[in-house]
Amino acid sequence: MMKLMKSRVKTKILCSLAAVSLSLGGLAQADEWPEDNIRLVVPYSAGGTTDLLSRKVADLLQKELTTVVVENRPGAGSTVATGQLARGGRGSDHMLLMASPGHTIGASLYPNLRYDPVADFAFVRNVINIPNVMVVPGDSPYNTVAEFVEAAREQELSFSSPGIGSSVHMSGELFKNLTQTKLVHVPFRGSGEALPALLSGDVDVAFENMPTVYPHIQSGKLKALAVTTPTASEFLPDVPPMQEAGKGYGLETYETSAWFGLIAHKSFPEEGMVKLQAALDKVMAGEDFQKFLPQFGAEAGTVVGDDFRDFVQSELKKWSDVAEKANLKR
Amino acid sequence: MEKSELQFGAASESHCGRCNPNSILGGIFSVLAAGFLFYVVPTHIEIPAHMQHPLLSPRFLPQLAGWLVLALSILLMIDGLVKPPKRTETDEFRRGVPIVRQLLMVAAGVVYVLFFEQLGAIGSGVLACVLLFLASGLRNLWVYALAIVFPAVVTLLFIYVLNVPLPPGTLWESLSLI
Amino acid sequence: MENFSEVLTLFLSVDNFFAIAVGVLVGVVVGAIPGLTATMAVALALPFTFSMEPVTAILLLVGIYKGGMYGGSITAILIRTPGSPASACTLLDGYPMAQQGKAKKALKTALYSSVVADMISNIALIFFASYLAKIALNFGPPEYFWLICFSLTIIVSVSGSSVVKGLIAAGLGIIVSTIGLDAVYGTQRLTFDNYNLMDRVSFIPLLIGLFAIPEVIEFYTSRVAPHIRTAVSGASLTWQEFKGLLKTIVRGSLIGVIIGAIPGTGATSAAFISYSEAKRTSSRKANFGKGEIEGVAAAESGNNGVAGATLIPLLSLGIPGDVITAIILGAFMIHGLTPGPVLFQENLTLVYALFCGIMVSSFVLVFVGNAAIRYFSLIADIPKTILLPIVLMFCIYGAYAVNNSTFDIGLMLAFGVLGFVFNRTGIAAAPFLIGFILGPMFEDNLRRTMLISKGDLSIFFRGPITWVFVLFTAASLIFAIRRYWVARKEDALG
Repeated sequence: MMKLMKSRVKTKILCSLAAVSLSLGGLAQADEWPEDNIRLVVPYSAGGTTDLLSRKVADLLQKELTTVVVENRPGAGSTVATGQLARGGRGSDHMLLMASPGHTIGASLYPNLRYDPVADFAFVRNVINIPNVMVVPGDSPYNTVAEFVEAAREQELSFSSPGIGSSVHMSGELFKNLTQTKLVHVPFRGSGEALPALLSGDVDVAFENMPTVYPHIQSGKLKALAVTTPTASEFLPDVPPMQEAGKGYGLETYETSAWFGLIAHKSFPEEGMVKLQAALDKVMAGEDFQKFLPQFGAEAGTVVGDDFRDFVQSELKKWSDVAEKANLKR
Repeated sequence: MEKSELQFGAASESHCGRCNPNSILGGIFSVLAAGFLFYVVPTHIEIPAHMQHPLLSPRFLPQLAGWLVLALSILLMIDGLVKPPKRTETDEFRRGVPIVRQLLMVAAGVVYVLFFEQLGAIGSGVLACVLLFLASGLRNLWVYALAIVFPAVVTLLFIYVLNVPLPPGTLWESLSLI
Repeated sequence: MENFSEVLTLFLSVDNFFAIAVGVLVGVVVGAIPGLTATMAVALALPFTFSMEPVTAILLLVGIYKGGMYGGSITAILIRTPGSPASACTLLDGYPMAQQGKAKKALKTALYSSVVADMISNIALIFFASYLAKIALNFGPPEYFWLICFSLTIIVSVSGSSVVKGLIAAGLGIIVSTIGLDAVYGTQRLTFDNYNLMDRVSFIPLLIGLFAIPEVIEFYTSRVAPHIRTAVSGASLTWQEFKGLLKTIVRGSLIGVIIGAIPGTGATSAAFISYSEAKRTSSRKANFGKGEIEGVAAAESGNNGVAGATLIPLLSLGIPGDVITAIILGAFMIHGLTPGPVLFQENLTLVYALFCGIMVSSFVLVFVGNAAIRYFSLIADIPKTILLPIVLMFCIYGAYAVNNSTFDIGLMLAFGVLGFVFNRTGIAAAPFLIGFILGPMFEDNLRRTMLISKGDLSIFFRGPITWVFVLFTAASLIFAIRRYWVARKEDALG
């Protein structure tokens, strides 16, 4: 929208003269989507992981559709931008938002949310998933999830996270709930602060995003005990998935990941949805996207449309329960 | 909080002769700090249901800072009473400032705070600049042309060169909808 | 020495030099614009680097970073508007110098202090990276806690005429910093159910509000004064003066290097610690805060000393020490590179090509900086009647741009009023800023330490680093108290 604002304002003023008799402008938009630039709202500040992924997706998407303008609207987790999208209004038929775990976790963490995280939105598709990895310091006495759980039931162990309500934090809380252990959460501000504490052994474990810890697993400074996805990751083929490694310890259903997907306002035009999903299919099958994924230890997203909605719904339920048990629910 | 301090700004000027500014400052800050400690903290900082250690309380740091301010303001107040600071002369330029000048400045602030999204970055920028130029009593028309050119150029630079989306103004958009 | 020629072939390309030049230039300009910080510039430039060669891309970002670190000081000195957080310290003496007609001298001092600090920082990066990285890893929460305690003692030296008032301001800054969701429990603190306050008070609106807006309010609550040229034509920095400052600059740079190598502390703290140290050891203590050239040198060398050093934990450990390096880390990853020990094993040529570029960027800064001084100082010739409305406009746009939120505009003006009241009542604004920055770090690290130790207080004295900083803190406090009594006695006598 901000693109060519000047000319838009100018044409708007000109149009306003003509539009008095021609109120057909509003009807025209249905048959030719997109009739304007697409705005992709990133609910976090520029330069973060969500921003980086969004810009890459936007870059590839605009080769298929039309200009995609990325806009950062950080604030209160991701809830400020999400709330604005939910309110809709002018331009919302060309507005997308890159949703991430914050979308579902934020619903539990932030009080009096003025929107319904599922009902108020149209779900385009899940684009990228980044698995989390359960890591312990390289010189830690624990070599398997089983050993760790046994120890954590005996004594208070601690886990680090880049901040309260992050997928890394919630993965830890979920682990704590399912295994009935006494893990203590030590919050940091960003992975940059959290990592040194883990590397030096000040905290005992973390459930960090793959790209953050991958180089340290390679160099042996960290030991990976499990990945949080149901199947092993191609980056760490020797590391078992949590569901397998934690069998018998209540972890049979454990599954978390940092997912990223596009959502829109609930009144998003049907035609736009179809075109957008087709364009995304093309983008995600493309070589560029496939080459981009491994740089973030990421996997292509799988769920589309209503399946994506169901996925978000189940995530919402999962984190709401976890937040309740961790006394985070507002 | 800001409001009461503002009022004080005026109060100290007029009382400069009888009471000294440090005592008043200390007095006001101690009242504010006490209000903060005994009203704001208990009502606006929740204590979590489960807390491992009193040092971990969300109230710990605000209370520590609150007590620090309270103690120091009382010290400042007493210090001012015991040893009044030397009176400093007010700058001659601060006297006899036309009220219109100050009101126009406030108006410019109001334009930015309340109407930034409605008027857009350019609109509010132009309006505020004109108000502030008027406040200084500028007569040269070329200067007022500057008030239009600058906000427009800067806004466009922000939007296109720096990719920072400043608001185009909802008022203009709704006008064009008619 | 075949590696060396490989490094050169990788580095010696027109693209790289162009990227460095453009980067430094963009950094200086954006850094100088109130409200637009180097962080924002780096984040906004990132998408443009997707299609570049890795070395070129990273050099562009590093160039912006370095340029931005210096650029902030230009407007801080000329119009009391810190372009970046760290230059709030430069402003303490830089702006008074400009008011005395020594703007050129202040700007040049800032530039050359920045450049020297930059070089020292680069050398530390190239030769001592692995050693400094080891120290950084030894910094756990208790060590940070004491480092922050030590840093808090610098409030005393930036309190201006009254230490008591300075400490009150610091207390208020700490209170404001605790607004937002609690970091450990997620409960609301002083948010008054306002969404805009849940992520804590934004830093940029507070910074500009506190320093730049009071100038505007002050101007419009005074009668129109005849325009005084803040003299760009004034005397420049002489070689003699520069030599006199060298000790301060080197010390500031070393402080910057150490602070920079430890993730999560930041350039602002480094600038203030360096300033405070310079004031403590200076023979012209009384002149600090009133336009002391040594103060400018100390502040700028402290903050630019950080610039190269933050790359130490990034390159050698893969740990970003601040937001900018986190973005640069993203750039590495986009190009399929993972900083850390592996990078040194697998892409050593690339690392050295980067080092070459980083060194070159310091030299480029000399030229770009001098050009910037020439053009930016033209704003000192604009009468305030025209200049201030435009400065205000920049501040408003900048504050809005941080979160795309009008709430931040209101917040900035509110802090502007607060800053104005501070000015009129003789309260220094710098301690408020320090309280705001260090308050959360103090609390976070205190709480992390308690969480890690499960309540065992002995962890606060767990090793040599903690003891060193305990001693530093104690010494700094004793100095401060002694100085306070001496000053009071002199005051009573005089």
